[in-house]
Amino acid sequence: MSKGSKRGGEAEELNLVPVMNLVTILIPFILMAAQFINLAVIDSTLPAIGAPVPVEEQPEKPPLNLSVVITDLGFTVAGAAAVLNPEGPPVEGAPPAVPAEGEEKGPTIPCLEEGCPTPQSYDYKELVRLLGVVKDEYSDEENVILVPESRIPYEVLVLTMDSTREDPNTMVDGAPRLLFPFVVIAGGAE
Amino acid sequence: MGKKKPRRNSGEGALSITSMMDMMTIILVFLLKNFSSQDISVKSSADLQLPLSSALKAPKTAVNVVVSRVDVIVDGVKVMDLESTTDEVTGQATVMVPEGELKGQLITTLYEKLLDKAEQAKDIGARAGGGEFDFKGQVLMQCDKRLPFSVIRQVMYTAGQAQFSEFRFVVIKTRE
Repeated sequence: MSKGSKRGGEAEELNLVPVMNLVTILIPFILMAAQFINLAVIDSTLPAIGAPVPVEEQPEKPPLNLSVVITDLGFTVAGAAAVLNPEGPPVEGAPPAVPAEGEEKGPTIPCLEEGCPTPQSYDYKELVRLLGVVKDEYSDEENVILVPESRIPYEVLVLTMDSTREDPNTMVDGAPRLLFPFVVIAGGAE
Repeated sequence: MGKKKPRRNSGEGALSITSMMDMMTIILVFLLKNFSSQDISVKSSADLQLPLSSALKAPKTAVNVVVSRVDVIVDGVKVMDLESTTDEVTGQATVMVPEGELKGQLITTLYEKLLDKAEQAKDIGARAGGGEFDFKGQVLMQCDKRLPFSVIRQVMYTAGQAQFSEFRFVVIKTRE
């Protein structure tokens, strides 16, 4: 107090040392707690227990059972007991194709590169477009079954789930259009 | 001026802290901005690279299963090691669950651990009187993006057998 009054004439200097101490201690703590990566989650359920769709009301259309098989050749999209064609939704009354037959024919959406060497070589844009067409036809359907092959990297699975969930190119009320947000992961094709 | 300076230096030894203080304040504000109280924490390493995704759903606490390229960790405790091999078809390096751990699709050590966790969670749910703490069978899956689906499937199958049926795959957000 006496010191302060003595130096009153000069420019008063604030004693910042305690504040400095405080800040120096705070910084490591906050640094530890800081999250530099933003996390999110994708929900999925097991096929046996998951997707409890009420079966009381019988829709006019048969249930879609949309499934996307991921192989090292590309995506095979199948639904309502028929493999879908890239040209459009299955034609009513068309002879139902057996999925195995479709697999022999090759995938619905082949990879951009031969043998899909990287996760990016799958044609996700085409998958989104095709599922958009399916969604136009079955607007109430929200489930999709993913059937990945054993060797498919996890990253491809996540990117496929992104593609089946929403269409980033079509906006509805300011948000991307939802396609099939409920994912069920099936045991897998060998 | 020439007179004043040496006197102050010898007298108090005053350090000009103001500029350092400025810097610290800026760092503090920056860190506070980044500070987010997320329910889960991720220890990223070379063997655990989470995939990127456009998903937006915020993570919630659940039993945490980390599957990296070298081991499986449940709630911070290492359960087992994974075996690195080469793929017979492609010849590329891949990861598999050791044969000794497998019983069909079931990973036995992981199964026992998860069964314990399920029992614990049910116990907590019963004591808390249900509601928010009820056992819902949720499991947070943090998996390396390069893992083959076969490993993920075995882990999922095992979790399913131990009554965990809701999977939440933890991913890194690419958009806000």
